[in-house]
Amino acid sequence: MATELAPRQAPVESPPAPPARRIWRHGWLYLMVLPGLAYFLIFRYWPMYGLTIAFKDYLPFLGYSGSPWVGLKHFEELLTGPDFARIMVNTLILALLTLLFVFPAPIVVAVLLNEVRHSVLKRSVQSLIYIPHFLSWTIVASLTYVLFSVDYGVIAQAIHAVVGGRPVDYVAQEAWFRPIIVLQSLWKQTGWGTIVYLAALAGVDTQLYEAARVDGAGRWRQFWHITLPGIRPALVVMAVLTSGQLLDTGFEQIWLMTTSLNRSVADVFDTYVYQVGITQGGYSYATAVGLFKAVIGVLLIFGTNWLAKRLGERGLY
Amino acid sequence: MKTKTLAAALALTTALSVTACGGGEAKGTGDTITMMVRLFGTAPSPDGELQKAVEALIGKKLSITWVPDAGYNDKANVTLASNNLPDVMVVDEKSPSFVKTAEAGAFWDLTGKLDKYPNLKPLDPQTARNSMVNGKTYGIYRTRPLLRSAISIRKDWLAKVGLPAPQSVPDLYRIANAFTEQDPDGDGKKDTYGLIIPKWTGKYATASPYDVFETWFGAPNGWGLRDGRYVPGFDTPEFLAAERELKKWVGEGLVNPDFATLDTGHWMDPFVQGKGGIIIDVDVRATALYDRFREKNPKDADKVLMVGNLRRADGQKFSSPFTGYNNVLAVSKQRVRTEAQLDELLRVLDKLEGKEGSILLTNGIEGRNFKLEGGYSVPIGLDDPKVKVLQNDVDNAFIQLGTRYSVNGGYYPLKPADEAKRALIEQRKPMETEDLKTAVFNPALGVIAPTAVAQGPTLDKIIPDARVKYLSGEIDEAGLQAEIRRWYAGGGSKITQEINDFLK
Repeated sequence: MATELAPRQAPVESPPAPPARRIWRHGWLYLMVLPGLAYFLIFRYWPMYGLTIAFKDYLPFLGYSGSPWVGLKHFEELLTGPDFARIMVNTLILALLTLLFVFPAPIVVAVLLNEVRHSVLKRSVQSLIYIPHFLSWTIVASLTYVLFSVDYGVIAQAIHAVVGGRPVDYVAQEAWFRPIIVLQSLWKQTGWGTIVYLAALAGVDTQLYEAARVDGAGRWRQFWHITLPGIRPALVVMAVLTSGQLLDTGFEQIWLMTTSLNRSVADVFDTYVYQVGITQGGYSYATAVGLFKAVIGVLLIFGTNWLAKRLGERGLY
Repeated sequence: MKTKTLAAALALTTALSVTACGGGEAKGTGDTITMMVRLFGTAPSPDGELQKAVEALIGKKLSITWVPDAGYNDKANVTLASNNLPDVMVVDEKSPSFVKTAEAGAFWDLTGKLDKYPNLKPLDPQTARNSMVNGKTYGIYRTRPLLRSAISIRKDWLAKVGLPAPQSVPDLYRIANAFTEQDPDGDGKKDTYGLIIPKWTGKYATASPYDVFETWFGAPNGWGLRDGRYVPGFDTPEFLAAERELKKWVGEGLVNPDFATLDTGHWMDPFVQGKGGIIIDVDVRATALYDRFREKNPKDADKVLMVGNLRRADGQKFSSPFTGYNNVLAVSKQRVRTEAQLDELLRVLDKLEGKEGSILLTNGIEGRNFKLEGGYSVPIGLDDPKVKVLQNDVDNAFIQLGTRYSVNGGYYPLKPADEAKRALIEQRKPMETEDLKTAVFNPALGVIAPTAVAQGPTLDKIIPDARVKYLSGEIDEAGLQAEIRRWYAGGGSKITQEINDFLK
């Protein structure tokens, strides 16, 4: 504070040097930035040139520049087509379910783990629950089929033995598609997600807890007034990042769990793009669908970030 | 210095992108022919014994991209989009991406051009028609039997329940019923079923168990004439009759309960494990099942009975044929630019598909990995790791390049392991000949309706999905009819019109 109030005297450094000189002076830092910069230019920005085919009737034989320009035709087709409403609704419902169940799960688990005082137990539980993260969706899907198959699934048969009635085909039926997807995501991703929050929790000053205990705060009070505010920055950053990926329901998981019976609730943007683009060869249309989804994702990031700032948080940027 | 590095990085980026976009400038194939082919195991080494032998025969170097079968169609579609096409490509000539690319002129139209080459010219006119795309031949078809639908039945179970081999659909129903109700595995529990159906991801009329079953009832195979107009097979009373019958089977527990989800890779498991006893598929399925039993117990393997297509209840017979081929070898124009270059390439392929080439592709090198014994090939030198590699290169890779002779036997058929297997193999040909007399061909196989190419992917899924939904009881017959109307409304009417216009 004091320095700011002090009259501006001769600055410590000379007035800003011309850019070239400045770059020269911090040469090593700029050099270190280069690989990252090259990565983004080559693998992230350059391919965006390909997005132009969303506005063309792309035919590989004619090339990027040779294909006829059709403007917004593919976007019109998408928005007015018979599939759009269903895909949008399916994607949004899955996104909301993710936000509701999959996003908070690691926070809850992290807080619970943080309360465990027995450190060996704590660490082994932590390791055990993040192992599923390393399994591919193919394996997770196969496990689901093995456990829930109406013919030989152990869990399905156990439930049937308890509940009775007609055997339920969990992996095929429309009504069970979304619960199964959420359960799979919870099983696979929760443990991994806790790592971030546990790190945030470790950063909370233990003296605060001691002080609170001295003041007579119980567990719940400590959680509400110390733990939660302590991890709030991490929480907000994760929320903003998640919001950008809300429409990324993931391709493999959905694709592997799709059957003839549940397709009407299973078709989402990611699987749709695959079907249109790769199996049908509708390159331009598929690109348009993908671009549309990406634009929504960007809007969601801006929106959540704006909201976070309005709520007095620092936001992502 | 930093700015120089940045400039260098940018220059590198530009260079990379330029090379990525401009691959197609080289003229002619020169000494090397590039190919993209299906692979079923480990990829052969370019310096492998077999590749060297093939190269020596055709007098050209080969540069082959081997792509695992499971992801082949995706990779083919991506390749078609990449503007970096191989000279010769094994490809599904009916896939929308190929049709679009070919019609834009990226592949040679070979219509009428193959007759000059004795080993490339189509032998069977029906198959030649089937492999066309709207009247044009875009490739050399890879021969398969023209009919190979067959039923595999647990022979020991059939003896146990005391029923004869089926002749008709009611016969098969009685068998399925007995397999479910009469405890054919003799463990005292009612834990078996008759028919095993897997999750079918293909379109309508792609020789699924459902499609074969519908054909038996007299439904058209894909498309059929009704009152002077071509209609899709599923818009006929015969189709509905077949679905009603099959639904009865499902309702009575004669079909595996997980028919909507059972992975095709596990199709044979319930059969071998003794859970189900009937598979409606192709003739090679019977030998594959036999091999599985033989693996378990060579002494007690004779458990597979194979029968051909069935009559319907009134005694009439309709048989479900195959297309007669599987994929074609298409020639891209990327490097083969002129008619003269095309002629040169086709002459090389003609040599490859001749007798000597076919033996190399489908059997290997005589005296090295096989010897001849009464017209059969008999594997030799299996202890030599080099011979093993050679055998792998034949069976899992190069055999896929064969067009006249291929996976259905090879130039010299493999000597069967024992009598029972030999009987199953030798049953194929007479069965094919007999059922071909009543085969229901798909008249529209060579037609690709423009709307079917342009339309979204959801249209193709409507009918197969509706079928499974109806069978599982999710929708009733009115619901099934509604789905058929939805197909018409979503572009099906236009497709029907286009098919009719083309076939007129």
